[in-house]
Amino acid sequence: MIEIKELSRDFGTIRAVDRISFAIDSGNITGFLGPNGAGKTTTLRMLVGYLQPSSGEILLDGKSIFEDPLAASAIIGYLPEHNPLYEDMIVVEALEYVANLRNMSKQFFQTRKSFVLDSCGLREVQYQRIGTLSKGYRQRVGLAQAILHDPQILILDEPTSGLDPNQIIEIRELIKNLGQEKTVILSSHILQEVQALCDRVLIINKGKIIVDDSIDNLDSYLAEYHLLHLELEGENIDLSEFVDYYPEVEIIEQSSVDDHYSMKLRIRGAAEVKPDLARFIAENGWLILNLYTERKSLEEIFHRLTQEPEAEKAEPQDTAIQDEPEPEIAHIQLDEAETDAEVEEEEGR
Amino acid sequence: MRAIWTIAKKEYELAMRSVTSYIVFVLFLVIAGLFFSTTVFKIALAEMRGVYGFMHLLFIFFVPAITMGSIAKERSSGTIELLSTMPIRLSQIIWGKIVAAFLQLITLLAFCIVYFIIIYILGEGVDIGAAIMGFIGLSLAGAAYVAIGVFASSLPSNQVLAFVIAFAISAFFYVLRFVLIFLPLPLVKIFQYFSFEHHLSNFTKGVLDLKDLLFFLAVIAIFALLAEFNLQSKNMRQER
Repeated sequence: MIEIKELSRDFGTIRAVDRISFAIDSGNITGFLGPNGAGKTTTLRMLVGYLQPSSGEILLDGKSIFEDPLAASAIIGYLPEHNPLYEDMIVVEALEYVANLRNMSKQFFQTRKSFVLDSCGLREVQYQRIGTLSKGYRQRVGLAQAILHDPQILILDEPTSGLDPNQIIEIRELIKNLGQEKTVILSSHILQEVQALCDRVLIINKGKIIVDDSIDNLDSYLAEYHLLHLELEGENIDLSEFVDYYPEVEIIEQSSVDDHYSMKLRIRGAAEVKPDLARFIAENGWLILNLYTERKSLEEIFHRLTQEPEAEKAEPQDTAIQDEPEPEIAHIQLDEAETDAEVEEEEGR
Repeated sequence: MRAIWTIAKKEYELAMRSVTSYIVFVLFLVIAGLFFSTTVFKIALAEMRGVYGFMHLLFIFFVPAITMGSIAKERSSGTIELLSTMPIRLSQIIWGKIVAAFLQLITLLAFCIVYFIIIYILGEGVDIGAAIMGFIGLSLAGAAYVAIGVFASSLPSNQVLAFVIAFAISAFFYVLRFVLIFLPLPLVKIFQYFSFEHHLSNFTKGVLDLKDLLFFLAVIAIFALLAEFNLQSKNMRQER
């Protein structure tokens, strides 16, 4: 059980972390989410006792970690940001070094070493110099060092940054497995990661926590609307009749090349208009080339919550609409708007 | 204690693997050897005092070279974060670094036993006691320079800067002896006490004075403490 009360940290005149409070129960994975410079690393550094807070308390099972910092760091495993390693050491050497610093017995080290080498997939590089390893392997070495002593609490600062997609999947799998028994706190600025791994999410921006909720409830922070992408073929296509009939539907982008039309509809609320829309189009003798719903991505929630937290909380629906460019403007900048939408969609996947 | 030894052992082993250490070693031995052969073979003096004095001068260049990376490198590569979140005290980190650098210095000095053997074989009426005491004294002074170097290395994250700072502080203690003649008499006694050469000269004469021993031990302890405070304040009073 980790409890944080009114924690602040100043760097000169800059307040990096501003009176944050939260509690984390044992045995789940908590994601710490925020843009760069939000105060994630500062908070995690205070959690592991590397930085002294300016004010506030960090309690571990009811006891302040600064009361007995050595005992606290004995049960914490920590992977710092950028994963610093001793480049000149061989992998097993580095593990042994950490084991000795943590005062582990030889026997315990041997059993943990073989577990860590297997679970982090380090067997084949165990006698290589760390400086010669690829980024993915280095990250695994860092993780191996952090979990070597079988800690109850695992704190990982951006564990998958700079890895390729396959490596990310491997590391995530590993973290997920670890999270079944341990308390894991990880920070990330990648939303899919938090979505894929965590039970709970804390969104932090400018040193303040703006969302603290389970990952399933995150959708409710998004104003209720989704986007529908349409590509049609036919002569003089006009959906205004349909739009008039459904008040929750709105055309926000439209473009055409000869008989080829592409448009983007915004549907407010949870209304399912696709069947009716398809029927309407078929009745008019037009052809559907493409029809898909844009996934409500965490990116959107994240972006909007961190950009305008106050406005968002006050009037979620209105802000959502104002965010989008007016239809007329979209018409003028047809090509650009289209490519942007495509890029966004790609990232969303 | 285990943590200090663990750090010292790792640092020493890594240093012994790196080419830079050997360059430093070879340079030191070549320069010291040149001086030694001059006193022994040209001037025909069968004693170590001159060599010890010269090695002491070399220390203010070579010890900072050995220690400059000890903490600065950890800081620039970020591994200091790893190290200081281990369940060990900051003082243990400092002492580990000091012990490691001292072991390197002793390894370096061990090569100089050859000089001793040469003098013993060729010379007549060699004062073995003085030679051994001198060696001990030189090691102690070396340890004091190591502590200064580790402290200097805890200040910046730049190794070159760490070298310069260590050199400046070391040079202060070394050069004191030469500026004494310019000082008014009451001050001489005070400043003389801080001169490394002054304390070392008793050792090279073969005299063990508790005052000299305590002086060097105090210098080591003070700079180790300063380094620890410095490491603490970098994290705004990390209390461990």
